[in-house]
Amino acid sequence: MIKKVTPLIFLLSTSYAWAVNSPITGTVQASCSIVTTTPGQYGVPNIWKLSTTPSDGGQPAVIKTTIGTADKYKVTITHPNSFSSSPSLSDTLAWTGSSVYTSGSVTAMSAYETHKTVVGNTTTFDMTLAGTTFFTVASSASYGYNRAFPSGSYTALILAECIAK
Amino acid sequence: MLFGFQAQAHEMTPAYPKFNYSYIEGVSVTKMFLFNRRNDVSYYQIGVFTLDWKEIPFASTSKLINVKHAKKYPFYVYIRNSDLDRVGYICTISKVFKGEEQRALITSRICSKIE
Repeated sequence: MIKKVTPLIFLLSTSYAWAVNSPITGTVQASCSIVTTTPGQYGVPNIWKLSTTPSDGGQPAVIKTTIGTADKYKVTITHPNSFSSSPSLSDTLAWTGSSVYTSGSVTAMSAYETHKTVVGNTTTFDMTLAGTTFFTVASSASYGYNRAFPSGSYTALILAECIAK
Repeated sequence: MLFGFQAQAHEMTPAYPKFNYSYIEGVSVTKMFLFNRRNDVSYYQIGVFTLDWKEIPFASTSKLINVKHAKKYPFYVYIRNSDLDRVGYICTISKVFKGEEQRALITSRICSKIE
């Protein structure tokens, strides 16, 4: 009786050992996603100005980025300096704008605002930490020397970029 | 609060693609994936650039790709072997078309780097 059972016990114990040692493997890739959380909206505080400032009746754009691995990406945000569509405009436009770090999933991300670089209307943030970050983008345009904007709809594009380092 | 949790994301992987030999002599290929979770955008344009953002000729199934909302879209980028040393970035940029009834003010671009 003992001779018949012994090989069975051996087989069971072998297969049990395989199960314990089976590795679970996975690969985490660096990734970045850009989420257009809130599209901006221009308010018209007076006839010659369009502005996303809330006190002007506008709404600034909010962009969320999610970085999967620390220190693999930089984010650049370019606020507009022209309209992508508008009624015909015969006079000059004066543009202002800003891109600001608003909040993040890691407290230390607040340093992004201190360390950002601004060249022209492009702001670059070095994403040294993994996690989610919110940016607020403001924009305003003034027409001529206090000239009235022609009636119609106006659209300007913000460019949000995630560039691998 | 204005912050919502709508699915409005543009994502592309891998961050650091590698080129391999293709079935065409003198041409290398890499496979990329685009995730479109922006419901206000359905077209993306592919671009290949040097590290100082000069355009590099490339081939793909289409340079302007139609990606439905919430879909993962695989695409191949073919580069001449003679250009491989110059390739710095592969990018996709969302395209907004005139006449579409939308208020998307945000164009998103994601660039992967060739190491």
